[in-house]
This record gives sequence, C-alpha cells and structure tokens, in this order.
Amino acid sequence: MTKDEVQTYKIALVGNPNSGKSTVFNQLTGLRQKTGNFPGVTVDIKSGKIRFKGGKEAILTDLPGTYSLYPTSSDEKIVAAVLTHPAHVNFPDAIVYVADTHHLEKHLLLLTQIMDLGIPILLALNMADTAAELGIKVNVARLSERLGVPVVFVSGRTGENIDRLQAELEKMMLDAQTTDRSAAFYTLTEAEKQLVEAVKHNVGTENPYRALLIAHHYRWLPFLKAHERETLAAIVETKHFQSLRAQVDETLDRFDRFTPYVQESVQEALTFPNTTTDRIDAVLTHRVFGPLIFFAVMLLMFQAIFDWSVYPMDWIEALFSWLNDTLKSNLPQGWLSDLLTDGILSGLSGIMVFIPQIAILFLLITILEEVGYMSRVVFMFDKTMRRAGMNGRSVISLIGGGACAVPAIMSSRTIGNWQERLITTMVTPFISCSARIPVYLVLIGLAVPAIKIGGFLNAQTLVFASMYALGVIAAFASGWAMKKWLRTREPSFLAIELPEYRIPDWKNVGLTVWEKVRAFIWGAGKIILFVSIALWGLARFGPGNAIALAETQAQEKASAAQLSPTETEDLVAHHRLEASYAGQMGKFIEPVIRPLGYDWKIGIALLTSFAAREVFTGTLAVLYNMGSAEQDISSRTDNQAKVTMRAKMREETLSDNGKPVYTLATALSLLVFYALALQCMSTIAVVKRETGSWKWALFQFTFMSVLAYVMAWVVYMIFS
Amino acid sequence: MLRRYKTVPDLKARESAEAISFVDPALACKLTAMGVRPGAIIEMVRKAPFGKAYYIKVDGIRLALREEEALSILLEL
Repeated sequence: MTKDEVQTYKIALVGNPNSGKSTVFNQLTGLRQKTGNFPGVTVDIKSGKIRFKGGKEAILTDLPGTYSLYPTSSDEKIVAAVLTHPAHVNFPDAIVYVADTHHLEKHLLLLTQIMDLGIPILLALNMADTAAELGIKVNVARLSERLGVPVVFVSGRTGENIDRLQAELEKMMLDAQTTDRSAAFYTLTEAEKQLVEAVKHNVGTENPYRALLIAHHYRWLPFLKAHERETLAAIVETKHFQSLRAQVDETLDRFDRFTPYVQESVQEALTFPNTTTDRIDAVLTHRVFGPLIFFAVMLLMFQAIFDWSVYPMDWIEALFSWLNDTLKSNLPQGWLSDLLTDGILSGLSGIMVFIPQIAILFLLITILEEVGYMSRVVFMFDKTMRRAGMNGRSVISLIGGGACAVPAIMSSRTIGNWQERLITTMVTPFISCSARIPVYLVLIGLAVPAIKIGGFLNAQTLVFASMYALGVIAAFASGWAMKKWLRTREPSFLAIELPEYRIPDWKNVGLTVWEKVRAFIWGAGKIILFVSIALWGLARFGPGNAIALAETQAQEKASAAQLSPTETEDLVAHHRLEASYAGQMGKFIEPVIRPLGYDWKIGIALLTSFAAREVFTGTLAVLYNMGSAEQDISSRTDNQAKVTMRAKMREETLSDNGKPVYTLATALSLLVFYALALQCMSTIAVVKRETGSWKWALFQFTFMSVLAYVMAWVVYMIFS
Repeated sequence: MLRRYKTVPDLKARESAEAISFVDPALACKLTAMGVRPGAIIEMVRKAPFGKAYYIKVDGIRLALREEEALSILLEL
C-alpha cells in the first residue's frame, strides 16, 4: 500500500442494479477513470478521481450493483466482502448510495443495511429528470430527516444537481466523525443479539450488524482465516442460528420500517403510466416474434460488423504497409531493420486491424445492454440455456464471445450458481470470436469457390456462417455433456429485473467501448507483439551454420537449373526457412498433424497460434513472403495482399507426394480446427482467474484441443 | 386435499393477486430483496416463448422469474 493510498479519501458508489449508478459515476469522475484489480476479490473494478471545488481530491470506486448484503452471485458478494472488512485497502471512508426515484422503496433496503454498518452514507436520488416528467414529487428534507442521512435529488443523465452532490460529499469528508451513527436502523432480535455477542470478540468488531453479517457469511467471506471460520461455525451451530430464515425476517422488518417514510415523503404518480415499455415488450418478448426478432438482431449485428469494418481495416492495413515500405527503403539492410519491419511492424499491424471489428461488436453489445434488451433475451432463453447446463444470463456471455471470450467470461459473474457459471466459462470460447475472422477469411477465400448456390447464396458466405453455427453447436453440446457429468445440486436463480426501455446514455456507451478496446489492445496486443517478434527470430535464425549451409546449397541448385534472379531468391528463402529453428519445429510436429492434411509450415502457424489465434495469418505471411521484396511492394492495398498470399499458398506442395497443400479438404480441416481449438493465452489466463484454479483452465484447453483435432481429422477424411 | 392457495403460474395474463408467503427460504431471501414480499400485488404479464419462465409485475417493477421461483410464491386465492 502506498502512502498516497492511505491518505486519499475513499468513496464507494453503491446501489441496486439498474439504479443508474454508472451515469452518476461518469458525472462525478468525468474521464478521470480506470479499471484496476481489486485486492482480495480478484475482480476488475472501475475507479476514478473526484476533484472538488476547494481543490481536494477523493477516489471514487464503483462497486457492482446488488439488492442486498445477502448476496447470491459472486458479483454481489464483492460488496458484502468489502463492506464487512474495515481493514481492506478499498474500505470506503464514505458511500454514495444511488437509488432510482421511480421505485424508491425497493432501493432503500440496501441503504439501511449499509447505514447499520456505521459507514457515513449519502443518498443520491437518481433519475430526477424522468421522475419530474412522471409527476413524482419527493420531499427531500423530510426523507433526509426520517432516514437520518443527507439526501440529494440528482440526474446522472443530465448532470442536474451533481454540484450539490459534490458539495454534500465535501461536507461529509470534513466532519466524518459527527456523521457516525450510533442508533441502528434495524433492531436485532434476541437470538441475533446473543449470536452477535459471541461473534464480536472472535472477529474483533464493535459493530453489531457487521458481526451479524459475518455470522451469516462466514463460509465464504474471503478475509476470514481458517481458525476463525471454525470458531464461527461452532458458534452458529450451538446457537441453532437459522441463517436464511433470519435474512428474510430482517429484510421484511426493514421494509416495514422504511415503507411509511417513503409514503410520507414521496408523492407517487397515481398510476404507472409508462406503457411504452409494455407495448414494446408485447412485441419483443412475444411468443413467436420475440425469438424471431432476436435472431434478426443477431444477423444484423454480424452483418454490420463485416460491412462497417471494411473501410477502417483497409486504412489501417494501408498505413502499415506504407510504413513498412518507407522503413525498408530508408533503413540500411540487415537484421535490425528486418526486426523492425517483419517482426515488430507486422505484429503491430496484426493487432491494429482488429480494432474496428472489436469496437463495433462491443458498441452494439453495449447498446443492447443499455437500452434494456439483454435482460429480455435472458428471460426468453433461460429454458434453452438450462438444457445446456447454463443460465439465461449465459446468453450475454455467449453473444459477447462473438467479440472476445475474455470480457465475455468475466461477464458470467452475475450467474449465482457455480455449476452454471462454470459451464458458461467452459463453452464460451467455442463461439467464434473476432480473432478467428481473418483466419476464416484467408482459408475460405483459398479453398471455397465464390459460386452462387441456388442462384443467390454465396458458397463462401455459407461456409463462413457454418463456422459460427459449428461454434454454437459445440458450445451447447458440450454444455449439455458437462451438465450430465457434473450433476451438483445447488440453488440456481433466474429472478432478473426487466428495466424500462430507454435511450442509451451515449457517453457511457462510448466509455465502455473505449475501456474494452483498450483492455484488448493491452492484453492480447502484448502477446501478439511478443509472438511475432519471437516468430521472426525463429524463422530468421537457425542452429549453428545451418542457414548459411542451406543458402549455399540453394544457390548451387539455382545456378545448376539456371533459374531467374527472382526464382533463385524464392528458392533461397524457402531453404533458409526450412533450415531455421521455426522450420525444424514445424518438421518435428509434422507427423502429428500430417493426418489432418497439414505440412510443416502450417505446423509452425498452429504452434504460434496457441498463443493467440490471430497470429495465424501473420505467421503464414512471414513464412510465405520471406525474402521476396516484390511481394511487399505489390501488397500496398488489402485485396492485392490477400490475393498474393493466396496465390503463394496455392503454389505450396507437400514434400512427400508433391500434391498441393491447400486443397478443399485441408482448408476445411483447418477451418474446423480453428473454430474448435482454444488457441488463446488470454482466455486460459482469465479462466484460471475466474475459476480460481489451473484445473479447469487445463481441462478446457485439453478438451477443446482434442475435440478440434478429432473433428479436423474427420473433416479431412470426408473431403479428401 | 383442498388447495388453500395458488401460485404465480396459476395466474392468467393480466390477472393479479396478493402475495402471502414463500415456500422456499433461499428463494424467499432473493425475492424479498428484489421487492417481492407478502402484501405485494403480483400481476402476470406473459409466459416466456419456450415456457418455464414468467414475466410479472410487482408494484410497478417488471421481473422475470423461472418456473421454480414462480411456484415458490404463494398467492391469495
């Protein structure tokens, strides 16, 4: 812990899901925010700086949305784990509690629970703008007096009263001691009092409600030591404490106490006039139209990704190819300039070309989530997902998997049931992510003719769509198999709020997309860059003087056969590569991949792809273009580069029988392999982190690799 | 035996009834925190397209419940 962290005032943002917390967060912090790891809870939490008018600063942390301190999912558990642990580095000095004014009653439960923990708290009644439109009037002074906490009526969307909120916060920072509450909102029952007395000494807390929460949650609270857990278990046992029953009674008692306060101070609109949402839902969750519209939306989404991303991708490729040419013609020849151009620059370009597609996909997913459509999808497909051992919420992960499995797997934290969450984590990488797109494009363009089937359907499009279908089928089939195999009995919940439809908050959408894209570039980018540099080295150097030897041999061969200078150059490049470390590695694994129709060059590409599959095309480019300067010049535009590469690939022949390498069978077999194999270090790392052990990460890797190998072999057998 | 209560799946579309209590304590804990509690008026909106889940309204709040969750809420006859 740095000195800075000790001294900075820490504020946490807490509230129910759909309270509009993130809009308030953006208003308070502006663009001064970052996502960081939260110690002890292994989760990325957004935090940002608040700058007050007087020049003071505070760190604002956005905790996950939860309904109560009695959590059911690991996302919700974070809130209880942090707030019951005053020694935690992120334990807040004060809390801004965001509540939706439209349904104030429901939102006050968590507020009163936190009040009883004795943490200074401020109530921000959000959505002041729409509440006013609906005729909801709030007597802020009365509510504040009744609850005993400062109350500010704000709007996260319009920024209304955010300055008042800041002023109140500053006041809290100044007199933190005086806001400390002694009177609890909830009166403990006799049984709870006795329990708390016994627990207090053992965990060293003076706050009765904190002691009660620790007694409820002793099984999973991460900060408890093994011996503390044992003592707590013994106490709970001897007191015959019925945790669930007590939780329900406490919740109902709280509602009974604050309901009159809400009635006194909030003048509701007499009816719930928001029928727009009802009318939209009559169509969007309709028995027939609901699912149909969902599939149409998915189709449009993927269409948009391919159509919109073409131009920015072309620009990026053109930029890098120009940079490459400029550097090559201006730098002295040698290994250093080769490293800069063929190693680093080609690696960088491999990362950058993905940005448009990833940004568009994240943009569309974020919009669907912001308008409130995602929870409807969860509702409609819960039954379907449960058949495959998952939860309705898994739909969000699987759709997100179409962009990138890493954030998609992290979004499964809202699933309470461990088995459902585990299966979601295990099968999400089967969904074809954006990194597979370039691999598909190159291979399909190579092996599948661009003919129309039945006059309108392009054969290439059909194969492309089949790759996505294959991923979905593999995900559901393995989910179903895992469900049969695991069979644990643990409560599973759907219960999800269907928020009112609303226009997305564009600032929030923009920030989310930026955040995700940046995380992708740093996470995956580092690996891709590293791999492409390593690959360049492996392909350029060889053991001892093998490379020099191969070169001399090739020169002799060429002069004997009286080859042209270009042909000589290519022959030399080919021999050099074969003699290099990369060539030897490829040769080493060739027997293993030969049954699938692959040669040693594809072998190298496969090996390097296990770090990140997007390396595949880059690797092949390095392998087939090495030393051929003309190719680089002609590859100024995207199409020409692809055509050149495909032409090169078509010329490849197998060394043992001289037949072409890239037949329809090989290409299809490679496509299937890439669709099913887990070739992504970032995914393995995130699975390890999310499941808490290497066991599941390794299981997933092995399972997917074996399945990919077997299916690729079957496909090769059928088509060859 | 005569049934003295009904549950959420018994409601027809746009029909509503008052919640009395819960069958399962774990579900009760989750549902009360979301605002479903004894005394609340529950309105059936519609069944999920493939069944096994229900779209309901509780005091103006829209919720989706699984069949097991819906069955655990006892309603006044």
